[in-house]
Amino acid sequence: MEAPIKGTVTSLSSLFPVEEAQKASKRVEESITERQKQLDQLREFAADNNTLINLVQRLPDQLHHEIMVPFGKAAFFPGHLVHTNEFLVLLGEGHYAERTAKQTVEILNRRGKALEVQVEAVKALMQDLKAEASFFDATASEAADGLVEIREDYVEETSTKEASMKGTVKPELTISSEAENVPSVKDEEYDRILSRLAELEKEEEEAENANQEELGEAGSDISLDDVILEEEMKSSELKERGESRFQSTEKFPDNWHVQGSKSTSKDCIVPENCLPENLAYGKFNLTESAPREPQAKEDAPREPQAKEDVKAPVIAEAKADALPTKPGFDSSKAFTGSIIEHTSDVNSREQSVSHSSKPVSRFKMQRK
Amino acid sequence: MDTIKQEKVRRFEEFVDRRLKPDLVHAIAQRDKVFEQKKIFSDLRINIENLEKNSVTNLKTLVNLGSEVYMQANVPDATHIFVDVGLGFHVEFTWSEALNYISAREEKIARQIEEYTRLIASIKAQIKMVCEGIRELLQLPAEPAY
Repeated sequence: MEAPIKGTVTSLSSLFPVEEAQKASKRVEESITERQKQLDQLREFAADNNTLINLVQRLPDQLHHEIMVPFGKAAFFPGHLVHTNEFLVLLGEGHYAERTAKQTVEILNRRGKALEVQVEAVKALMQDLKAEASFFDATASEAADGLVEIREDYVEETSTKEASMKGTVKPELTISSEAENVPSVKDEEYDRILSRLAELEKEEEEAENANQEELGEAGSDISLDDVILEEEMKSSELKERGESRFQSTEKFPDNWHVQGSKSTSKDCIVPENCLPENLAYGKFNLTESAPREPQAKEDAPREPQAKEDVKAPVIAEAKADALPTKPGFDSSKAFTGSIIEHTSDVNSREQSVSHSSKPVSRFKMQRK
Repeated sequence: MDTIKQEKVRRFEEFVDRRLKPDLVHAIAQRDKVFEQKKIFSDLRINIENLEKNSVTNLKTLVNLGSEVYMQANVPDATHIFVDVGLGFHVEFTWSEALNYISAREEKIARQIEEYTRLIASIKAQIKMVCEGIRELLQLPAEPAY
C-alpha cells in the first residue's frame, strides 16, 4: 500500500546559477549605495535644519546685526539685519509666510520631523536590501560549493482507511500536503462514500461479469472515461471486479495524484471515487496519462459493460444511495452528469479522464 | 588576418570608449562651469550698472538665512561693493572700479572658454579619426564628406 518514496535531488547551482546570484547581489549592492547617498543627503538636510533653528533662535537677541549682504554670487555689500524678529518662510509653490522667531522655530521643527520620517523609511529600505544582498551572497557561495537540495515525498501515516488512501493517492510532494488536509476533514464523508460504493459495486459486478470481454482494447481511452464515470457510481461494483486487477495497479493511484482540485472536500477522501466524477467535471487535474493507459485497458472491458448496465441504474442508485446515505456528499451530484453518458458519449467527453476503475478497486481494497 | 583585424578594431573601440569619451565628458563639464562664472559676472555688471543709473544708495534686501528663510536687511551705503577676486579675497570697489574689474574678469573668462572649446574640438576630432580607422578596417562604406 505504501507508495515508494520518491525523492528528487537538485543541485543548488542549477536552481541558482552562481553567476546569476553574483549579478543579483551586485545589483542589490548598487541599489544599496544609491540609498546610502539618499540617506546622506537627508542627514545633511536635517543638520542644516538644526543649524538654522539655532540661528533663528539667536537672532532676536539683538536689534541690528552687522552683516555682509550678498549681491549675486560674487559681490557683497556691508549692511545690517533689521527687524530681527520677522522671518519670511517659504512654504512651497511660491507662498511665503511672515513669522516670528518662535513660530519659525516651530515650522522648522515640523520640517525636521518630516525629514526624520524620510530617514527612517530609507533606513528600512536599506535593511531590506542588505538582507537581500546577504541572501544572494550566501546562495552564491552555496551554489559554488555544490550544495544540493533534496526533496522527498511526504507519506503521512494516518489511521486505517485514510492512511491507506493517502498513501496511494499522494505520490507527489506537492499534493501530499493537500491530501493530508482533505482526508482528515472528510472522514465522515469517506465512510458514507464507502458504504455507497459497496452497494454500487455489487450491482456493477453483476453487469461486469457479463460484459467483461465486450469492450476490448479499442476503446480503452474512451472506455476509461466511461469507466471513470461509472466508477464513481459503481465504485463498489468495480471494486469487486477489479480488485485483483487493481491490486497490481498501485501505481495508478500514485499517478493520479489529485492535483489542485481539492476544491471539493470529498475529493481527497475518496480519490478513486471522486476522481472520475471530478474528471468529468474537470475538477481534478490528473497528471498522468501513461500509467492510466494500461489500467484503462483493463478497466475498459469492465467499463463498457458497467456503463451500459449501470448507467441508468447507477444514476438512480447513485443518487438514491448518495442522497440518503450521504446527504452532503458531492459525489452524487458529480455522478449526475457522467452517469448518463453512454459509452459512445462518454468516449467523446471523457477523453481527458483516463482514469480507470482502478481507483475504485483501490478504494475497495482499502476498505477491506 | 581577420582575427588581427578584429583585434585592432576591438582595441580602437576600447580606446575610444575608455579614454576619449570620458575625456570629452570631462572637458565639457569644465567648460560649463566657466560658462556659469561668465554668467555670474555679467549679471553683476548689469546690476551695478542699474544701481549707477538709478543712483541708488540705500538698499533694502531680503537675506536668505538658509533653507529659504529670509530676513530683512538694510544696506545704508551701496556705493562700495566687495567683489570676489578669487582665492578667497574680496576687494572693496566703488561702482566704476567694480565695473572695470568685471570687464577685465569677463575677458579672462572668455579666454578660458575659448581654450576649453579648442580642447573639446580636438578630442572630438580624435574620436572621429579612430572611428574612421575602424571603418577602414571593416571596409565599410565611407561616410559622405559633406
